[in-house]
Amino acid sequence: MSHHLHLADEGRAAGPRPGPRLLDNAAVLPRHGTESLTGVGRQDLPAHRAAHGPRLSHLGHLGDDLVAAMETVHLTGRGGGHFPAAAKWRSVAAHGPGGTVVVNGAEGEPGCAKDAVLLQTRPHLVLDGLVAAIEFIGATEGVVWIHDGAWRTAQSVSHAIAERIAAREGDPPIRVIAAPDRYLSGEATGIIRTLEGGPTLPRWVADPARPWSEGHRPVLVNNAETMARAGLLSHVGVDGYAPTSLLTVINDTYRAVVEVGPDETFGDVVASTWRSPDGHAPQAVLLGGYGGSWVAWERLRHLPVDNAALREHGLSVGAGLLGPLPANACGIEESAALLRYLAGQSARQCGPCLFGLSAASSLVDDLTAGKLSRSGRSTLDRYVGEISGRGACRHPDGALRMLTSGLQVFHDDVHRHRKGRTCNAPNHSVMPLPEEGS
Amino acid sequence: MSRVAPLRSARPQADPAHPHLRLDPSVCDGVGICAHLAPDLVAVDSWGYPIVSGTALDSKSLRRQADAAARACPRKALHVQ
Repeated sequence: MSHHLHLADEGRAAGPRPGPRLLDNAAVLPRHGTESLTGVGRQDLPAHRAAHGPRLSHLGHLGDDLVAAMETVHLTGRGGGHFPAAAKWRSVAAHGPGGTVVVNGAEGEPGCAKDAVLLQTRPHLVLDGLVAAIEFIGATEGVVWIHDGAWRTAQSVSHAIAERIAAREGDPPIRVIAAPDRYLSGEATGIIRTLEGGPTLPRWVADPARPWSEGHRPVLVNNAETMARAGLLSHVGVDGYAPTSLLTVINDTYRAVVEVGPDETFGDVVASTWRSPDGHAPQAVLLGGYGGSWVAWERLRHLPVDNAALREHGLSVGAGLLGPLPANACGIEESAALLRYLAGQSARQCGPCLFGLSAASSLVDDLTAGKLSRSGRSTLDRYVGEISGRGACRHPDGALRMLTSGLQVFHDDVHRHRKGRTCNAPNHSVMPLPEEGS
Repeated sequence: MSRVAPLRSARPQADPAHPHLRLDPSVCDGVGICAHLAPDLVAVDSWGYPIVSGTALDSKSLRRQADAAARACPRKALHVQ
């Protein structure tokens, strides 16, 4: 199926362009899981070193230089939050030395696969970033955090660590930890809680800049793409760095992971990576993740794939999900299915998330069934106001962002369903969800 | 107050000079004693869980209510910080 895809910048006039990117091609995966990947080959250690140069030290001022470079290129957290990475590294370093640096590759978003693609094909870029962070902070160990069942990813990372040990690269100890296969397994406070001997569940932290417990060593958690970008930047420098984004594009029978520059629009990306099932442009796109935002296609198509520019429009690349909704699908039914899934993925710790999301989900199910009364609709609006901002983590906020953006963007669908009819959209379950019960 | 505006904005940081009543929602069981002891700071949502006001505890009355609610919480979910 890779013949449907080409590099988004293929055929453009070749202008001066920064050097090596993360991927040199589009990767193709099935809609579910990350066990089969085509389009991009794995770069082993000799190939990685040939392409990017030798292992660098980031002790002392060498680490300071890398963090200054991260600041210059505005490297932000690609797990979804887009917090400035340099500020996070410095903040954790201020509590060091000692502690742990974690590469977060759990990628709980069922639609997203960019982190799996990086860990399976560019493991050494990620590990170069990890080792740089460990040396800068003065940490004693590294962890690669992936979800249970991601065998190909685990195999690639374990093999990469073994390659580096055999080559006597002089890395600090790095472990691979498999987290439960759930939506929230990649939530940073849950990772830290696990490292401290607790359950893999998010927790409330009084000070977000210091998410570890009293009496425990500091922990830095960065998404796999963020780490790979730090690793790449350490080799190519500010002048050679391409400020791109990795996006996972949902298609009807496959997903494509592509690297896109800020000079490209979402219209360009969809034209080159999305196969319309009905010959029409999408009506809207789910952007960022399942806890991201629905954006009408007419609004999104002209916007650049550049998070700083998107922020001015109240949008974010988030975790890099791009889920076009075909014209022949119903946005409200799709939103209802996603909300049902997200409500079920609550960590079941905070009342507003546990009870509130499922109550909101029931009302949205009533809406799609044409059974929601006028007062039911105002109850739904009240629930949204009551739940927002009241979880220990941002899970309920994301679910409500998806819902409220859907209610706005799919206003016509809402109207149709409220008249007591259901729509007859032929296209269902556009966004992949894990099998029921698994 | 009967209803407190939901906390949409960034969460307040601990600030010793201007303490706030803060809730760890992950350990709160919605027992509800806080809403009785601190009626000016805590409202109850549709499911019986406290909605805690982001107001600074800048009066003796508010501080007294916050301390009483934090002390009485059987789940130790409330903190004055």
